[in-house]
Amino acid sequence: MSDLVVWSGPVGGAVIGLYLVAQYWLTGTPLGCSTGYGNFCAMLSRARYFRTGDYATWNNWRLWFALGLPLGGAVAMLTSGIAPELTLSMGALYDTVLPSSPIGRTAYLVAGGALIGFGARMAGGCQSGHSINGMSLLNLPSLVASVGFFIGGIVAVQALFRWMR
Amino acid sequence: MKYAFLPLGALFGFLLSRAGATTYDYYAKLFLFEDLQLVWVIGTAVVVGIPGLALLKRARARALLTGEPIELRGKPMTRELPLGAVMLGVGWGLCAACPGTVLTMVGEGKLSALATVIGIALGTYGYGVWHDAKRVRSSQAP
Repeated sequence: MSDLVVWSGPVGGAVIGLYLVAQYWLTGTPLGCSTGYGNFCAMLSRARYFRTGDYATWNNWRLWFALGLPLGGAVAMLTSGIAPELTLSMGALYDTVLPSSPIGRTAYLVAGGALIGFGARMAGGCQSGHSINGMSLLNLPSLVASVGFFIGGIVAVQALFRWMR
Repeated sequence: MKYAFLPLGALFGFLLSRAGATTYDYYAKLFLFEDLQLVWVIGTAVVVGIPGLALLKRARARALLTGEPIELRGKPMTRELPLGAVMLGVGWGLCAACPGTVLTMVGEGKLSALATVIGIALGTYGYGVWHDAKRVRSSQAP
């Protein structure tokens, strides 16, 4: 798999911090990605949860933000000076430990994704909403959430690479 | 106003990609403590974000596109937050993706990310159904 252009961590982080402030200043909205998945659920679901609060109208800014993300990914790839390609690979490290059959890997990722989706709604946000946005607001619950994210990630990856490799 | 979020989402996705947050290997290396690229990204974003948002607050800035006052309010603590955060973290490590980066990966041509996106949507859907059921139960309690 050819490589995307990647800036150094502090540079990438600083620009993302500036983006957070700019989005607030321009639009008055907090940075966040996970809530937008519920907009797609709201198109299909009759559950009351998807009719109230953030989801009172599903066609709102979060939907359009979610649709913008893949566009940004495409631009990032096309400006990296690499040949565009569609790939099932998940990189050298994950490919050695994850199921290699397409069905097995799809089932694994859908199950892992379900944990992400359910957990994000329980936690009230994801890495963007809590770790970047919330911690920049010095919001204590967001610090608790961020610690929880890292505990979960460390446990999962240590287990994955210890037992599956 | 909502259509402005299409280019904003694209810009944020582009930045996530350039920060390395759409490169699978960085997730494995992060949680194996081999390369802390993504800790640097989150850490520096917060270090820049804290004074930036404090300035907006102090200036009582209004949103440029709407003229409305900017509400800088943190999310509340709930009883389910810690468990949900750990669940999300487990999925984060297993799939090498969070809700924002995985949509960006799809745009980069990483097709396996589509399976994760479908999983996240299903998990979100499941939470909504569970939340409704919980509400009904609590309203029926004596």
